[in-house]
Amino acid sequence: MLKRYASISLGLSVAYLTVSGQGMPSSPTPTAPVAQMGGSAPTSGLFESNTFLESANRVFDPTSDSMDFEDGSFVWKGRSFNLTEQRAFRARFERFLLASPSEDEEQYSQLMDDILERLSVANNNSDEAMFDTWELLFRASRFDSDGGNSVVLANQVFNAWRIRKESRGTAMSQRELEQIRVTQQEIVANRAATLRRIRENRLKQTSVSNRDENETKVDPDSALTSEDAFRALDLAETEAKIVALEAQTALTGIQAKIQFQSQIVSFFMQRRFQHALILSSFYQLIFKGSQQQLEVGKDELTAFFPNSDLTFTVDTMSFISREAINDVNKGVESVNSAYSEGRSMIALERLQETFFLGEYLPELNRIPTEQRRHMLDLYRGMIEAGELAESKDYAGVGELVESISQLASDFPKSRIISSLESAKSASDMAVFAASQYRNLGDIDQARAELQTAMEIWPLNPAIREFQQETTKLATAGSQGVQVFDDLMKREDARGIYERRLELGFALSDDEARRPLLLEVVDQVARIELLVKQSEELVKQGNPYAAWEMLAEAAKIGPDDGPLNRARADLAPRVADFVRYLNRADRQTEDSQYAAALAAYLMAQDVYPASRLCREGVDRTAALLMSVLSKNAAAVEVPETLE
Amino acid sequence: MPLSSHKTAGKILPLLIVGIVLLIGGAVYFLTKGSAFSNLETLPAEQYLNKPADFLGNDYAIRAQIDSQINWQKGLGRILAVTPEGSSMRLPVFVPESVGGNIHIGQRFEMRVRIEEGGLIYVEALRKY
Repeated sequence: MLKRYASISLGLSVAYLTVSGQGMPSSPTPTAPVAQMGGSAPTSGLFESNTFLESANRVFDPTSDSMDFEDGSFVWKGRSFNLTEQRAFRARFERFLLASPSEDEEQYSQLMDDILERLSVANNNSDEAMFDTWELLFRASRFDSDGGNSVVLANQVFNAWRIRKESRGTAMSQRELEQIRVTQQEIVANRAATLRRIRENRLKQTSVSNRDENETKVDPDSALTSEDAFRALDLAETEAKIVALEAQTALTGIQAKIQFQSQIVSFFMQRRFQHALILSSFYQLIFKGSQQQLEVGKDELTAFFPNSDLTFTVDTMSFISREAINDVNKGVESVNSAYSEGRSMIALERLQETFFLGEYLPELNRIPTEQRRHMLDLYRGMIEAGELAESKDYAGVGELVESISQLASDFPKSRIISSLESAKSASDMAVFAASQYRNLGDIDQARAELQTAMEIWPLNPAIREFQQETTKLATAGSQGVQVFDDLMKREDARGIYERRLELGFALSDDEARRPLLLEVVDQVARIELLVKQSEELVKQGNPYAAWEMLAEAAKIGPDDGPLNRARADLAPRVADFVRYLNRADRQTEDSQYAAALAAYLMAQDVYPASRLCREGVDRTAALLMSVLSKNAAAVEVPETLE
Repeated sequence: MPLSSHKTAGKILPLLIVGIVLLIGGAVYFLTKGSAFSNLETLPAEQYLNKPADFLGNDYAIRAQIDSQINWQKGLGRILAVTPEGSSMRLPVFVPESVGGNIHIGQRFEMRVRIEEGGLIYVEALRKY
């Protein structure tokens, strides 16, 4: 027996440490069956715990629905942006909440607005004006907020200009070659005409004379043919050079356009919407109208217009960038509105969305420093509460919920407290069930219930108490038989009752003593119940009924200490009643039934609803009639004999 | 005629005397009967309730109202709870079947009682009042 309880105690300790060490259960266990002992033990499982965790995950997740840290994406207008990992995002977000809007940032914002204004088609778009605007990019790049992106932008514009200049040089060379080609074509054409005339003249001369000399002189016709071939070769070379130049020009133009468009898309994907907008404006001014169609970034834009067959141009890119900037503006307005109305939770959620979309936009500086700090506290509280909920530290969660609800009046405190209490109750019920099973000696079920309790709430104080109690019982169990025998010898029923748990363990296999133990425990439990009822009746102002309860209990165990203390306490309040009852009892014992009956009637006059009196009257009246009947019979017999 | 008148008068006179005697006897009987209740002491209920043994063997008169019937046994009698005049306490009395007739709750009776063994208040006679 001792070994068995030592085993459960040790086993449960190991299980507790294992679960505590892990922080959370590895896998849910099936719901344990109900224990029975004077009532049904609770059924407990992981339902409550899971419900709490789901609830906690929803409530303590400060991120908005558009953020998915598992995918590492942020969705805006159906388009996914790379969110990278949650920790990195959190760091950037906290850095923003810790920062304060500076004057530099304000100047940078004005400068970027100025650049965009200058590039507007409504303004002067001469080369000089564009150059002046281009120079402003270098000023912008000196601000920390810019992150050097304006230089990249300026370089891209410069590159386009250089390519255009090179293209102009190539065009000049091409024109010169075309002039040479014309000349060469003329030369080749003239040579062909000359050769034809020479052939005609020679045919005339040959027909008249010196047919024999033909074989000894140099042939002028062959000399003319060789020169013609050279001239034709020159012409072919020139034409090849022209074709090559044309190809080079075309290639250079395409490269410039693609590089430019790629940079616009790159800025857009980095959420540098202002830079994307500025570069698009430069593009529109540098490249002619027929070159506005996008060659790159079509896939990215298709995501914004999934069900359309639009032809995407640089204008489309500008439109979406401007749309993003407008969205950030609206986001900042909604954050400030929600915050001013005390809806800090909504403000925090919207701020995260707005921050991610407009992280590099100066519009975010419209959120004041104090507001940022408040939301930082709220954000940190939410993250910490979420982590505590994950590790099932419900006490810690409860404390944080209080502080969070003070920071955010729209925080659903009651919902999380309710879930918290449900989980705690489920764990407590499982511990209770484990105690019941243990008391019944069902060790396996006790272990399963305790495991369930630990999985729901590993830090439940009741688990530790259960362990200590089990250890104590296992120790006391070995001395139980001796203790029980001693108490029985002294007729100390109350002593047995008070040690019933450990004696129950010790005598669970003792066929002789166990029934005695159960009987004594049952008796004292009934006395205990009656004494409690008596106390309640006294509180209700009915001392006579209370006394009757105690009198009833005295019939079960007249020597019970707590019972007699209760009687002694109550007796002065019901002195007459008790005196008459005692007299009735005493006279009944002396067979003075008529006097006893009179005493009962007197007691009944004091407390007419008395059950003791009613029963006493009936009983003594019956006894009295019985005596009278016997006396009558005794008198009749002698008369009959006479 | 005088002889017949004397004979008639001689017959009437004894009858008259017998009638007068019977009348006086009846009056004496009824007067004697009434004094059987009125001559007795009234039972001191308070003292009796506190110590019934001190009153064993005594005869008393009780004027009381019937409160309830506690027990009844055929051929034997009934035990009643009665409330004596001038008292708020109830007393148990035994009325033998030979003494009691119809007794109803709330009726008032004058009783002649004897305190019997065990403190029993034994009703020997009763009458309504």
